[in-house]
Amino acid sequence: MADGRAAAQLSEAAQSELLDMCEEQFAQLEKLQNEIILCEPDFCENPQEQSVKRLIATEAELKQWSTVEPQLLAENPKILLEAGKEEMHKLCSELEMVASCYEAKRDKLKETMELEQKWLEENKQMLAAASGHNERLQIEKEKLSEHTVLQDIKEKIQKMKVYQERLMETLGYILEKHIPLPQEDSSTNKKKKNVPHEIHENLISLNEILEILMNKALNTPHDPYVVIDDTFWPPYVEMLLRYGIAVRHHENNFKIRLETFF
Amino acid sequence: MSLLKPFSKLPGLNTANILLVESEEQFQQSLADALVEETSVTVNVRLAKSLPLPMENDESRPRIDLVVFIINLTSELSFQSAEASLKYLDPGYFLGKVCFMVTNARNASSPAERLDAVRKLASSLHCPLLFAEDQTPDGVASATERLLTILKVAAGLVPIATALYVSNLTRCTLPLDIDLPSFD
Repeated sequence: MADGRAAAQLSEAAQSELLDMCEEQFAQLEKLQNEIILCEPDFCENPQEQSVKRLIATEAELKQWSTVEPQLLAENPKILLEAGKEEMHKLCSELEMVASCYEAKRDKLKETMELEQKWLEENKQMLAAASGHNERLQIEKEKLSEHTVLQDIKEKIQKMKVYQERLMETLGYILEKHIPLPQEDSSTNKKKKNVPHEIHENLISLNEILEILMNKALNTPHDPYVVIDDTFWPPYVEMLLRYGIAVRHHENNFKIRLETFF
Repeated sequence: MSLLKPFSKLPGLNTANILLVESEEQFQQSLADALVEETSVTVNVRLAKSLPLPMENDESRPRIDLVVFIINLTSELSFQSAEASLKYLDPGYFLGKVCFMVTNARNASSPAERLDAVRKLASSLHCPLLFAEDQTPDGVASATERLLTILKVAAGLVPIATALYVSNLTRCTLPLDIDLPSFD
């Protein structure tokens, strides 16, 4: 049947030969068909039985294939040539499809490989960097002894102490220069001469106020409030509050504390 | 009860006849349209909702070379209908002339147990089980291609290959442990 179309290009003799063959085959087919119809139908609902029958059928087919003799399609060489050509063309187109499929697959694999290699390179670099870091740390660890660590920390503490000293000195200098004691202030200022003198006697400097506040904040962190008494000159208290250095108690107006700068 | 028999009629010249059985009649039509596009052989497509086929046009009906049961996994009825229809097939069909096609397998609303049931059914009957995508043209085209491959063999159009031989290679096999996650 497959070479039916090819036969169109063949000679009449070959064509009639093919038609004869086809008719012969069809006659055999009809004969077999009649045999099948005449056969007793056998029913089996049991799946196991069906499996066995299937096995028998497969075995029969196998036997048939192993005993069958390969037969030439036709004697006429022209028919064979035509059929062969057709087969070859079919095979060619199929193989072309396979080839293009594999080419696409290969290209994809190449792409994947490039990506993987890039990734590998990056990972290698990362590994090198990490191991370098590790090495450096190892060397540092070997160099460091307990003594040197102690020395280091002592140096740092010393530095901090010097820094704190300098800060305190600067603070003292600024306070002394720009915010002197109220007594001196009042003596220079004519307006303040009217202020009663007895209050002035107990007044303490801003320096001291700050010291009290700081000490209170450090010694009793849970209760950093200081009660304002008459030794605190009100303008100083006002100044501290205004510039955000001190904060008043929420409920008690006579208590202040140092602003939490940390 | 009228059984559908594989060899009760003479085959046509260069012709393959396929019967699509689907209770919901959703995928049938698009699949049939794609199947008849085939040029190398004449493909006749017959559609049915379920078996048995009606008696009145029994005479005009050609020999059916391949019966395809289309099962929509989201519907229990679809599976039950296919299962019930199987009784009306001659045992000769199960020698490579029946196949199951499952749709909507990737749908989240289709229970895994139903897929397992279909798998069990297909493997107990030694039939191939195909998965198809019915929503996209690409899915229909690939389903058509797979069906045509089986159909050509079942209709005896491929030299040296027989339906029984191919079905021994393509039949659905059940994994030993059905509880294991299946990789579809």
